[in-house]
Amino acid sequence: MEPRPTPTGDDPRLPAPVAERRIAVAFVASTLAALGLAGVYVAGGQPQAEGALLFVALSGLGVGAVQWARQIDDGPTAGERGELAGSEADQEAVVEEVADDVADLGRRRLLSRLLLGAVGALGLAALFPIRSLGPSPGHSLERTAWRPGRRLVDSEGHRVRPDTLTVGGTITVFPEGAVQAGDSQVVLIRLAAGRNRPRRGRETWAPDGNIAYSKICTHVGCPVGLYQEDTHELVCPCHQSTFDVLDGARPRFGPATRGLPQLPLAVDGEGFLVAQSDFTEPVGPGFWNRS
Amino acid sequence: MTGPVAVFGLLVGLAVGAAGVAGAAGQTAPTASTATTVAPPPEVVAGRSLYEISCTSCHGADGRGTAQGPSLASTGPASADFFLSTGRMPLDRPRAQSERKRPAFSADEIALLTAYVASLGPGPPIPDVDPGRGDLAAGYQLYADNCASCHSSAGAGGALGHAVYAPPLNRATALQVAEAIRIGPGAMPVFGPDTFDDHEVDSIVRYVRYLHDPRDEGGLDLGHLGPLSEGLVAWAVGLLGVLLAARWIGTQD
Amino acid sequence: MSRGQKRRKPEEANRVDRAFRFVDDRLGISHFTRKALNKIFPDHWSFMIGEIAMYCLVILIVTGIYLTFFFVPATKEVVYQGRYAPLRGVEMSQAYASTLDISFNVRAGLVMRQMHHWAALVFIAAIVVHLCRVFFTGAFRRPRELNWMVGLTLLVLAIGNGFFGYSLLDDLLSGTGVRVAYSIALAVPVAGTWLAFLFFGGEFPNTEFITRFYILHVLIVPALIVGLLSAHLAIVWRQKHTQFKGPGRTEGNIVGSRLWPQYAAKSAALFLLVAAVLALLGGLAQINPVWLYGPYKATQAAAATSGSQPDWYMGWVDGALRIMPAWEIRAFGHTVANPFFPGAVMPGVTFGVLYLWPFLERRFTGDREPHNLLDRPRDAPFRTALGAATLAFYGILLLAGGNDILAGIFRIAPEVITNTFRVLIFAVPLAVFVVTRGVCRGLARDDLHPTRPPPGGLVVRTATGGFETVDGPDDGRPSEPVVDAWKPPPVDSG
Repeated sequence: MEPRPTPTGDDPRLPAPVAERRIAVAFVASTLAALGLAGVYVAGGQPQAEGALLFVALSGLGVGAVQWARQIDDGPTAGERGELAGSEADQEAVVEEVADDVADLGRRRLLSRLLLGAVGALGLAALFPIRSLGPSPGHSLERTAWRPGRRLVDSEGHRVRPDTLTVGGTITVFPEGAVQAGDSQVVLIRLAAGRNRPRRGRETWAPDGNIAYSKICTHVGCPVGLYQEDTHELVCPCHQSTFDVLDGARPRFGPATRGLPQLPLAVDGEGFLVAQSDFTEPVGPGFWNRS
Repeated sequence: MTGPVAVFGLLVGLAVGAAGVAGAAGQTAPTASTATTVAPPPEVVAGRSLYEISCTSCHGADGRGTAQGPSLASTGPASADFFLSTGRMPLDRPRAQSERKRPAFSADEIALLTAYVASLGPGPPIPDVDPGRGDLAAGYQLYADNCASCHSSAGAGGALGHAVYAPPLNRATALQVAEAIRIGPGAMPVFGPDTFDDHEVDSIVRYVRYLHDPRDEGGLDLGHLGPLSEGLVAWAVGLLGVLLAARWIGTQD
Repeated sequence: MSRGQKRRKPEEANRVDRAFRFVDDRLGISHFTRKALNKIFPDHWSFMIGEIAMYCLVILIVTGIYLTFFFVPATKEVVYQGRYAPLRGVEMSQAYASTLDISFNVRAGLVMRQMHHWAALVFIAAIVVHLCRVFFTGAFRRPRELNWMVGLTLLVLAIGNGFFGYSLLDDLLSGTGVRVAYSIALAVPVAGTWLAFLFFGGEFPNTEFITRFYILHVLIVPALIVGLLSAHLAIVWRQKHTQFKGPGRTEGNIVGSRLWPQYAAKSAALFLLVAAVLALLGGLAQINPVWLYGPYKATQAAAATSGSQPDWYMGWVDGALRIMPAWEIRAFGHTVANPFFPGAVMPGVTFGVLYLWPFLERRFTGDREPHNLLDRPRDAPFRTALGAATLAFYGILLLAGGNDILAGIFRIAPEVITNTFRVLIFAVPLAVFVVTRGVCRGLARDDLHPTRPPPGGLVVRTATGGFETVDGPDDGRPSEPVVDAWKPPPVDSG
């Protein structure tokens, strides 16, 4: 069969000596690279050398293979597709075989319904082990580890006073004794005196300019770690929800629909910052039962 | 500000300053116990004259501030040193986010200006920082908890709101990092001595300096931008490469 | 030739003869093998894209098996004391610690890990390009609708497995992604809370998910992928591959290379070159440097890094989350939370339409005929335009996923970038649709190749001074489709 010309008319089949030389070079390069790879490994390994040598080893084989394939390529072949669907006779025979039994099932109404019921019940029962995969949500999404009088501590467990933060500063705080509670992380910010514009009922929540909000974004729960001090905004790094710290962390921009819940703060007898109570609304992203 | 202009300004300033000091000395109301006033040290005087040439248009006489620039009364020496040594001040345009550029003043001039600003009122002092005293792993912890959300885990910087940008940290010196932590320039929060003690600052600085040249065992770091640049390379190099291979192997009609 | 006769053959043939007869005696495969060896595969280069994806899968499995020997899918916290100094003394899950060990302690471990990750990115990219080829050439039409759906399912499984895979490492970046997935599950109406609690093992953050993702990633989903891929290939084998129109090609025949030796050789070569590209990337281009991110610390100060993006194949969902306006449904004491719409509804609807597309197109065009010849994209302007617009839609979402990085590069406020994307997400697909449909119609009318110059007629000066074209189209409408000039092959009955 004639070799198939390319669109430009060139014959991809090179004269045998030329092609063989090229294939040989490719295979030799591949072999050397593979040996080099083994050597690099023995010598302790180095990622870039390993990658480069593996590349040469594989592509040497590949390039040689392509050229060899070209050499043995004797052009396109054509063939008949044939019918995909089976013969009439076959189709009819199968349908007949099965159709009778299906009809039989239809006739025995009671039995087939009981069968369906039994299979359905077993299937349903088989789903129940899925229940063991996790605990019941209960009210866990509506509560955190904060309690009245619980002290604020930093990530190393040190208690926080109203003047621990400089004005314009921020750290992340946790309930004392419950630093591992992932839903209780709070971002504490120190505002300049008089800057805060507390909502009705929240006037006592920010002693000495120390204001605390849940760090869990109300969009999809990323920690809202960016505090833009000059504009007093908390920005979530994931999807850029922006919260106004001076206005109860109301969302100013981005996909978050609810402000960050504010933790009411107070100062206890020993001068440490404590929570007045748990948050007054669920923290974090929304869910069906959140009213 | 270099060369002859500076020298001339210095001389003029010295003369003015001397006159001013003399006049002030005559006008102070002494307490009962002492009749002498303390003359400002020469670096403050020299710094003031530099200040009057370069900074009053935005920061006002005596650093009291104008519509274009804030008051420098309680900013302190660390702030002045940070903004001047990173070239953020003087600003090209008023009210833009200040960006690192080539410093407009020499190190000596910066020291003079810093001394002058320090004399205007109390503010964070120039920190005594030594990365060698810091702990690398502790620095990682502190950096990840407090800095990565703006400056990114690799110190490559990140966008905040209002077209403000937390800058990449790869050119900051140890002192500049420590100063920034203590003063909270621009949009950055302030981390005072009660928030981080000096050892913690040393540790953070040590980790930030590590980020200047982190272990990039895996090869080209692709800008440390994460999955965005990795996806780009996967398509532009990976997929393109294999498609070219297929085009070479297969036919085109 | 019957089995009893012996024919004199050279030495090599004797060995092949003995070996094959040994096997056939026991397995009876000669009839099948005879057909298979001569099976014809059209070998246009664009038909190899699916194979590229398959070979990426092979690399994934090989490197993946190696990684399973070293990765520890355990949630227990350990204190790292390994070779990477900045994390020494830091508490982390064993999963993360074992990843550091693979990267720094296991010889060639980092290359294996990086090859595995690059292969995943290229795998899904190849599937997407393959899907586009199938879509734009109409290869999903009868009788291939089933295979279209099998292929789409493979895409969904591949995306899911990629997500499970990079989340296993329990680093800061991927942990943030798991949190996002958890919250999207939470946002599903009625059953969302239960869905999230059961799938992830409780209230987030907890590390239950590591062991679950592990078994999903190394066993369940790969088994499904391999099973469906086998079905995918079996269907192609049974139905025979489609082919482009051209001289000598009809609906009833198939033109290409025989499986043995030509196509097998080409395919093997393709595998080697795909592996080579992945090896180059795996060694030379750093990917997912988890040691820089640090371990996920949901229970500690809960950091996140700016520039938090998922891998590209999830980037379009992330982009949708970012540009979705702050809308939410709150009524009767219940909330349908904001992330539900971009995170669950949008992907569900778009993939649902993709699944149903063969049947939708049948309904629109009324074309119920089987097709073995492919369309050129221009032959179906509406389909091509719709496909291009859909790609533009996903592309804009993908770009929107990087809105904060774009904001940093161009020093524009993220708010401006986000609002721009909110407009572009509608404007660009619409514009792409209109333009593409116009281009298709133009190309179909003029019958030109999109990139090659038109086959010119020879323009000659006549004796009287005028011009006339010889050997070329007079009115721009050739009598026969213009394809590349090669002689039609003699039809073989084999």
